[in-house]
Amino acid sequence: MKIGGSALNRFSFLIPGLILITIFVVYPIVATIILSFNINPIPGIDIIGGRSSGLENYYKVLSSPKFINSYGIKTMTFPMGAIIHNIIWIALHLPLTIILGLLLAVLFQHVRGGAIIRSFIFLGMVIPMIVGGLLIQFSFDKDLGVVNLFLKIIGLRWLAKSWTIYPDTALFSLILGSIWLWTGFSVTIYSAGLASIPREIIEAAIVDGADFKTILFKIIVPLLKPVTITVLAMTILWDLKIFDIVYASTQGGPGGASMVLALLMYDYFARVQNYPMAAAVAAILTVITLPVVIIWIKIATKGE
Amino acid sequence: MDPQTTKFTIAIVIALIIGIGVGYGIGFGTIRPGVVTVTTTETETVTHYVTQTTPATIVTTLTTPTTIIQAPVTLVVIGPWAGAEMEAFTEVLKAFEREHPNIKVEYRIYRAEDLASVAPPQFAAKMAPGDVIFTAWGWWAKKMGDQGHLLDLSGLVSTDDFIKGIFDPVKSGGKIYGLPFTAWAKPGFWYRKSFFQKHGLEPPKTWDEFLTLLDKLKDILGGPPIVTGDGVGWPISDVTEHFIITFGGTDLQLKLINGEVKFTDPQARSVFEDYLVPLIKEGYFSEPIEWTRALELWWKGDYALYFMGTWITGMVEDPGDLGFFPLPGCKGVVMGTDYIIVPKYTEHKEEALLLAKWLATEGQKVHAGTKAGKFATWLKVSMEDHWKPMQEVFTKLKEMSPMPDLDDTVGGDWQKLFWDQLKLLWVEPGKLDQVLNTLTVNFPKE
Repeated sequence: MKIGGSALNRFSFLIPGLILITIFVVYPIVATIILSFNINPIPGIDIIGGRSSGLENYYKVLSSPKFINSYGIKTMTFPMGAIIHNIIWIALHLPLTIILGLLLAVLFQHVRGGAIIRSFIFLGMVIPMIVGGLLIQFSFDKDLGVVNLFLKIIGLRWLAKSWTIYPDTALFSLILGSIWLWTGFSVTIYSAGLASIPREIIEAAIVDGADFKTILFKIIVPLLKPVTITVLAMTILWDLKIFDIVYASTQGGPGGASMVLALLMYDYFARVQNYPMAAAVAAILTVITLPVVIIWIKIATKGE
Repeated sequence: MDPQTTKFTIAIVIALIIGIGVGYGIGFGTIRPGVVTVTTTETETVTHYVTQTTPATIVTTLTTPTTIIQAPVTLVVIGPWAGAEMEAFTEVLKAFEREHPNIKVEYRIYRAEDLASVAPPQFAAKMAPGDVIFTAWGWWAKKMGDQGHLLDLSGLVSTDDFIKGIFDPVKSGGKIYGLPFTAWAKPGFWYRKSFFQKHGLEPPKTWDEFLTLLDKLKDILGGPPIVTGDGVGWPISDVTEHFIITFGGTDLQLKLINGEVKFTDPQARSVFEDYLVPLIKEGYFSEPIEWTRALELWWKGDYALYFMGTWITGMVEDPGDLGFFPLPGCKGVVMGTDYIIVPKYTEHKEEALLLAKWLATEGQKVHAGTKAGKFATWLKVSMEDHWKPMQEVFTKLKEMSPMPDLDDTVGGDWQKLFWDQLKLLWVEPGKLDQVLNTLTVNFPKE
């Protein structure tokens, strides 16, 4: 049987996929960007409501305290603005997810019943994020929450409060909750990565007298670099588009203390019904996430 | 033509045939035919083209009570009620189905805040999430009506038969976009009579007596005596409005709604600074707790007082054990109704309008008699038609002036901001200035 064929023949196989991608991916992106400049993406259908076209939406979004709150940043109090909250989220969530994921994967690699424990950790990923948000809210509840119960048991009763309702702790409680939800992902990926490391390399290091620390940092971590890059990129992207957890647990409150970019976009879209403003936030979010994706793809394809 | 080009052409033709076939199949399965048959009791068969029927002709049809719709129709009704409230409302729908055997009603739950998010994009796409929709937000119904998404319901009922002013929030340019259903009120702090009797307590008659009561309750309970309901935020705004009406007067409530007085003005500020914030700081209010769980905790005796609407009567085991008192000196009570709206894009206009009319009139009689904790806005429903516990509440409420709900009237994004800022105030009362400034700066300009 002949494999290959003419360029036309090969191209024909791409057509259905390309049509679908054009309709469901390319067109919405282009339409969103057009709309963000107060231009109707579909001629004849008025979505912009008579607003004049230009950069007005971008100016409004970028200068809004909901996006970046200079007073909050100066005084180091919440709210600091959605973009800063997303950055804080990444700054805390990313290293913790990577460290925890790697350590737990290494720890459970050769432990009896490790696969079962890994399955329990992975449960966080299986739960719908909107449910995860509600679970976080309950977990940090003053009376019902497991977190406060733990604090009371270890003698930190003074810390027991409903964390999600206070501006100083709302964002942090969500971030901590998201670590629980997302660590399953990094543990699974790292476990797969560990399984691909040839056992002989580790055994040779042990024969040469290397201790656990040396094996971890000189062999495992360098060999898991491609896996780490994947976890890093996926976690950053997840943190940037985080929405459901916040929506279900705090709605961005109190006083905007846990507002994030995706929720800001949703608020403009669904509550204010200002679709061009929502499109502007979406475009900004895309611009922020794009470099992460490009770098990730470049590094990933470099390996090939 | 070479064999490869032939194969390519055949592949495209097959794809087109399959695509068109699938598309047609979807269309055939989902798009309803444009003709329905309607038979009147005079045995005359009339064929209506739904797409050509104007609201005016529909109204005319509906005023003929003998109209029987033969083709079985299922209407989707969207409302905010769940649990015990839904059970009460289900009785109303069942009563309608008994009277109109050819119309089935399917009830779906959407909170007002979710509906306000979900419905507009659907309306923009000329789709209706439901045939008959309930919303407590008159401002939202008016906005959707002004945007051309709702049917004009004027002429469907006689407005003189309803509580005066009830149509105002949904009126626009001579059109009425919503019919009132049963009403609720937020009259004051609810308590268990048995709890008060057990501890020898009496409802307060002065502000000082109220403070003394709170101190006593705090000693008895060893914690905050008032449970703060939470959710998306409306219970906190309700108690706040009660303080505004009590200490600023009914006039202040109206001026705040109209934007004539700012939240930072001394008149409004003093309500917060002199009355509400000191109570929060003294720890008389609990942390915000999800409102239905707060209800359970309060009923269980973990808290003594709960500020809530009249629907609470239908949510407790023993409504006879319920008592309430407004803050001493309060002359007004926030009252509101759930409005019935009909989207322009419903596929069953005649049936939807028939149901809307029935709900606003006869349906109220049924609903007022259930444990819903509501009272009728249709004046043809007598006091005796109401559920017994509500008769007592209604008698007490007659002494107070009905007031519009502040955040429900202002609406829009500010409503969510109001809830969110009050939640902030509840946990950090020291941020009063920040909260009042935020509310003032963001208040709608028009």
